[in-house]
Amino acid sequence: MSLLLPPAFWLGAWQLCAFLVDRHVQGRGNELLLPYPATVLAALVRLGGTAPFWGTVLASLGRIVAGMALGTVLGALLAALTYLSPWAHRILAPAIRVIRATPVASFILLVLLWTGRDRVPVIIAALMVLPVVWENLSRGLRETDPQLLEMGRLYRFTRWQMVRLIYLPSLWPYFLSAVTTAMGLAWKSGVAAEVLCLPGRAIGAQVYHAKLYLEIPDLFAWTAVVVILSLLLEGLLRALLRAGKGGSAP
Amino acid sequence: MTDIHLDHISFEYGRREILSDFTLTLPGVGVTILRGPSGCGKTTLLRLLAGLEQPRSGRITGVCPRETAFLFQENRLLPWRTAEQHLTDVLPRDRREEAERWLALTELTGEERSYPAALSGGMCRRLALARCLALGGRLYLLDEPFAGVDPQRASRIMTGLRALPAPVLLTSHEDHILSLAHRVIDLDGPPLRVL
Repeated sequence: MSLLLPPAFWLGAWQLCAFLVDRHVQGRGNELLLPYPATVLAALVRLGGTAPFWGTVLASLGRIVAGMALGTVLGALLAALTYLSPWAHRILAPAIRVIRATPVASFILLVLLWTGRDRVPVIIAALMVLPVVWENLSRGLRETDPQLLEMGRLYRFTRWQMVRLIYLPSLWPYFLSAVTTAMGLAWKSGVAAEVLCLPGRAIGAQVYHAKLYLEIPDLFAWTAVVVILSLLLEGLLRALLRAGKGGSAP
Repeated sequence: MTDIHLDHISFEYGRREILSDFTLTLPGVGVTILRGPSGCGKTTLLRLLAGLEQPRSGRITGVCPRETAFLFQENRLLPWRTAEQHLTDVLPRDRREEAERWLALTELTGEERSYPAALSGGMCRRLALARCLALGGRLYLLDEPFAGVDPQRASRIMTGLRALPAPVLLTSHEDHILSLAHRVIDLDGPPLRVL
C-alpha cells in the first residue's frame, strides 16, 4: 500500500493539471500541452503493439548498457591509477572534473563530429558515467580503513589478498552508490545524444519525431519508456550486485 | 630464541616523548607480561618490536619484525569474513586444518561460520587472538589479548599460550593472569621506564 501511494498521488496530480489545462483551452488542443494519463497510456499500448517499438527499445537499451559498462570500467581503472600514483592523480583529476562540468550538449556535438552517429550515445553515456564512478571509487579507496591495511601488511597478505579481502569489500558501498547514480545519468545523456544525432533505431529519435509532428502523447509515452527502463535496470543492477556479493557478509 | 635487547631506544609521537634512552632485555623464551598504567608506552614498545614504528635512536636486536605475530590493541577483524575465514586467510594453504586448533585454544569452537557482528566483544577479542596465533612466528607480541575476556577463560587461554613453541610478550592489566606468566615486568611512564 505504502509503495503504491506516491505514484498514485503523482498520477492524481497529473490528472488534475491536465484537467485544468483542458478547461483553460476549452477542449482546443489540450493534448498538445498536457495530455491526460489515460491518453498517454493508450499511446503506450498502441506503440507497444508494434514490432518496431521493441526493436527501438532494445537498440537504445544496448547502447546505454554498453556506455554504462564502458564508463564503469574506465572510471574504475582510472580510480585505481590515480590512487596508486600521485602524479597520475595530479594530471587526470582536473581532466575528469572538466568532463563532469562540460555541458553534455557540447560533448554530443563534438563527438558527432569525430565519430559516426551510432557511436555517439554510447560514448556520451560512458563520458557521463566515468566521473561519477571515478569520484566514488576514489573516495572509497582514500577512506579504506588504514588499520585494516596495516593489519593486512603485517599479517603478510599477498597483493591479491589485500585487494580481495580489504579493498573490494570496503569499496562495495561506494561502487553501488556510483552505479545507481550513474544509471540515471547514462539514460538521460544517452537519450539526449540520440535526440541530437538521430541514429538508426533509437528512443531519442522517436522522441525527436514525436516533438516534430506534435505527437505529444507519443512524446510522453517514449519518455515513460525511458523512465521505466531506467528504474528496471537500476533494480536489476542492485539485485545482481547483491547476488554478486553472495554470502560473504552478514 | 635468543634474548631481545633494546639498547638506548628513543621514540616520540610528535613532541611527546614515549621512550627516552630506554634499555631492556627481554627473555627469548616463555611468557612475559609487561604491566603498567595506560599510556605509559607499552603499546609503543610492542610496535617498535614489530617494526611498525622506527626508533629515533638506539638499536633493537634479537628480533626480526618479519618473523613476529602481532596482536593489535584493536581487533581489526574483517566484518565480511567468518571466524574460520579469518584464520584460513593467514594460514598457508597446506596448514589450513590448523584453524580448528586455534579456534579451540581460544574457546571459539562452534563459531566457525559466525561473522564478527554476531560475536560478543570478548569473542571478537579471542578471534583476533586466534588469528594472530594462527599467523605464527618466532615471537608473539600480544597487546591486551584478554581485554573483555572473562577471568576464568583468560586463565585457560594463558595456559595454552605457555605451551607455544615461541616466546610470548604481552601487555595486560589483568592481575589474575600474572601468576601464569614466566616473568612479569612492571613499567611506568611516559617516558617508559622499568620499575
